Amino acid sequence: MESTAQTESAAFKEKVRRTVYLDNLSPHVTESVLKTALNQFGTVKSVEFIPNYTESKNIPLCALVEMEHVKQAKAVIAALGEFPFMMSGMPRPVRARPAEVEMFDDRPKPDRIIRCCWLNPNDPAFEVAQKLKQMVRQHAAEASFVLKNQLEEEEKLAKQQRDSLKANYKKYELIDGIIGDGTAQRLVRRYGMKVLDN
Amino acid sequence: MVEVAEVENPEFKWGKKRGIGGKKKDVQFYESFTYDGVEYTLYDCVYMYKEDEPEPYIGKLIKIWEHSDKTKKVKVLWFFRPCEIAKFLGNDQTLENELFLACGEGVGLVNINPLEAIAGKCNVVCISKDSRNPQPSNEELQMSDFVFCRTFDVGHHQILDKMDEKVAGIEGVVLSLIIKFLLNRVDHKKSSSVVKLDSIKKEDGMIAVAGDERVNSSKDVHEEHKTAKAKSLLVKEPTSSINIESGGRAKSNGVQENISSDKTTLRSEVKENAHLKVPTVNHRSSSGEGEHSRISVDFSEVANTTDRLEKTSRGKTNLRSKVEENADSEALTLGQKSSLREKVASDRTTSSSKAYSEIREGKGAQVPISKFKVKEELKSTKDRSELDNRASKRVKLDDSAKLYDDNEKNSVQKLGCDFDQNSAKEIVPAIATEDKSKLKLAVAKESHGIEKGSPKWPKVDEKLVKLSSGKFSRDSAIQTSNIDKKTDNQVSEVTPRQIFEDRSSWFKESWEDRLQGAHEQGKLVLLENLDPSCTKAEVEDIIWHAFEKVCSAKMVQRNATSSPHSGQAYVIFKKKEEAEMVITKLDEGCLLLSNGRRKAHRGAKVVLKPSCKVQDEELKSGFDLTDLDADSLGLEIDFEADLKELTRDSKPLIGSSRAPCFTKKQSTFLGHIALEKLKIQMPREMREAVSTSHCSQPNTLEYDMAMEWCLQQERSERALKVLYKRQGEELRRLKAKLKSK
Repeated sequence: MESTAQTESAAFKEKVRRTVYLDNLSPHVTESVLKTALNQFGTVKSVEFIPNYTESKNIPLCALVEMEHVKQAKAVIAALGEFPFMMSGMPRPVRARPAEVEMFDDRPKPDRIIRCCWLNPNDPAFEVAQKLKQMVRQHAAEASFVLKNQLEEEEKLAKQQRDSLKANYKKYELIDGIIGDGTAQRLVRRYGMKVLDN
Repeated sequence: MVEVAEVENPEFKWGKKRGIGGKKKDVQFYESFTYDGVEYTLYDCVYMYKEDEPEPYIGKLIKIWEHSDKTKKVKVLWFFRPCEIAKFLGNDQTLENELFLACGEGVGLVNINPLEAIAGKCNVVCISKDSRNPQPSNEELQMSDFVFCRTFDVGHHQILDKMDEKVAGIEGVVLSLIIKFLLNRVDHKKSSSVVKLDSIKKEDGMIAVAGDERVNSSKDVHEEHKTAKAKSLLVKEPTSSINIESGGRAKSNGVQENISSDKTTLRSEVKENAHLKVPTVNHRSSSGEGEHSRISVDFSEVANTTDRLEKTSRGKTNLRSKVEENADSEALTLGQKSSLREKVASDRTTSSSKAYSEIREGKGAQVPISKFKVKEELKSTKDRSELDNRASKRVKLDDSAKLYDDNEKNSVQKLGCDFDQNSAKEIVPAIATEDKSKLKLAVAKESHGIEKGSPKWPKVDEKLVKLSSGKFSRDSAIQTSNIDKKTDNQVSEVTPRQIFEDRSSWFKESWEDRLQGAHEQGKLVLLENLDPSCTKAEVEDIIWHAFEKVCSAKMVQRNATSSPHSGQAYVIFKKKEEAEMVITKLDEGCLLLSNGRRKAHRGAKVVLKPSCKVQDEELKSGFDLTDLDADSLGLEIDFEADLKELTRDSKPLIGSSRAPCFTKKQSTFLGHIALEKLKIQMPREMREAVSTSHCSQPNTLEYDMAMEWCLQQERSERALKVLYKRQGEELRRLKAKLKSK
């Protein structure tokens, strides 16, 4: 029994090492998109999206992609670190990092004993523990605030990019338009300008 | 303590051998075995006991074998109760005691379980009109615990009306099943005679305890016994308590008689009673000692009591169903092997206390007496043995002038009235105290036992004693809970609780749906501040350990933004009340959880300490008087040193009912820009180049914008890192205080 548990946990550890954690994924990214995208680095063995139940909406997807070899996983992480990697859209790039044990849903039970005790309310530790609880709650609130802030920042960035891109696009379209309908030519002639025409 | 040892290892004997198998020829197959005094044969139907399930599972033995390392296994083809597959049943009507045989392929068809998980035999009759099925006679039908005629395809989740030739891929199983069904009864009779012989060997020492009334009743039992064609041997010892025990046997016989008397409303109850009796008796026979058997009689009586109550509250269906459940589960736990005794005992207490509270609600009787009532009913249940005569028994016991009455309903009503009579009250305390001393005796004996779990057992007895010794007011309960308070700070280990695979998870919908549903029903709790490395199973164990509640947990998977300090898990409870209770308890109290330590480094002092623990919350709600969690296995860890060790790196658990969020499929993604016109204008190849995945090239506009995003991502990551670092510092400082104090 003991040995099977050990081999199981060893196999799991190996799996963790082979796996890449990807986030900043668009909701359009599906398993097949991920597979085709990462197959250029090696063979994708499995894809698992990490569900997010705790954070508010609009959080990008994240996924665990298991590669066939540890080397391939490393290659993915290196490549995605070096270049911004687009998946199902641009310009927000996908990020990759090594997977961690806690990211998996089906991790084996570690060989350990958890112990618990109900603290006596008269125990001085009780108060401290209550404070600890409060602190943890506060920390959670802080983290969620920071995340919310970041989301806002991202929104701002996205909006700014969209706007500037739109403006640029409009400009180009305008130029394209006047060249297309001959206005530019007429103006050149009108003002006697020299324009190199290709 | 030879006897005790015997109790802990209920007798087991292999029967007929079959073949040898396995890869290394190290597996021996068998055709039959005797376990706990009951002979099981291949294709018998059995109850499979699971600790935290209210009702045992029912399955059919299709393979029995033993490994070379002496582990005994059985392969079980499952039956499903209608409630288990309610989702797939739709509007189909089911019979009250109908089961569905598993078929097809997939999870839930068969399982390999430890042989020890078998709780007793179950009589399942096939009522299929199939021509291959020898139709069961009416008598057989009446004796059956369950019937089946349909199957449930576990692969396709379908109910099938026909019997497939190949169930579970085992040819001809159905046929042999069917034949075996009919043989069940014969086996029962055999085992009962074994029991009787056994019981005769028992000492007469406990006779006195029974008291006069009891003797009377045993005589009556006796007469009934004759009519029930019991062994004449028993008749030779008219005053022995053993006789009463065998009366238990007689009871089931009587019950069977009653079945034929065709009282349909009662039949199901009676049936329950019947199978309730059988395992009890078997159980007793294996204990092989007077004291134990006395106690188990008490228990069986308590069990009976619930049945009895069932009748008294017949009109109140909801109450009854509760009791029914109870009685049922008890019946099976009774039959369970003795190593599971503690469970039996606690179950029993629970049920008796439940019954107790029901009496309170139902009849509005005085609280203090109701326990006596229960006790009293212990006696009165004797009467059940003679279902026709029992009114007369009642008369004797209660000293009341009630008349014979063959009508059961009437006698039941009388039963209710009898309780209020003073005479009854007077008699009962006397009995109660007798019982008490007797129990104590047993307790004393038992607690000398070194076996695991045995300390737990007497605990329950003590409780029984306490309850029956006349202090029934709240005060005493509070007293015990005060004692309990002292034991509060005890550090205990979270031990795994599963016996075999949890069937409830087989046909469940996705987690998303479950979370959503559970949240709407208020059964969802979000646990925070767990160790991030906690697994689902560990969380479930912790909850079981700290609250004695069954739940299913889902770890919140970590992602790049999660805190490294606090792990989270969603936990779904069976009831809203349970979820609320857990939240309040976690909020008001402090449940310290240690980070796990490797098993190898465990060196704590272990002290055997049977103690009595009653949680006041539970008392208030009046459903569970026992709380054996902290000292399951009776292991108490040397507390002072251990608390220190525990607090070194521990976290108080937090529970809340925060709503889960579900990411709906969004059509747009922040940071992905789509220019509609551009797309249309672009040639096909270009569009594909954009939509497929690629690395940006540094000479594009896309690259510039992507760089802005990278900057943003980097910033966010840095911010979170700083935040979590600061939080870690804060936590450490506060924890240092915890340590120093």
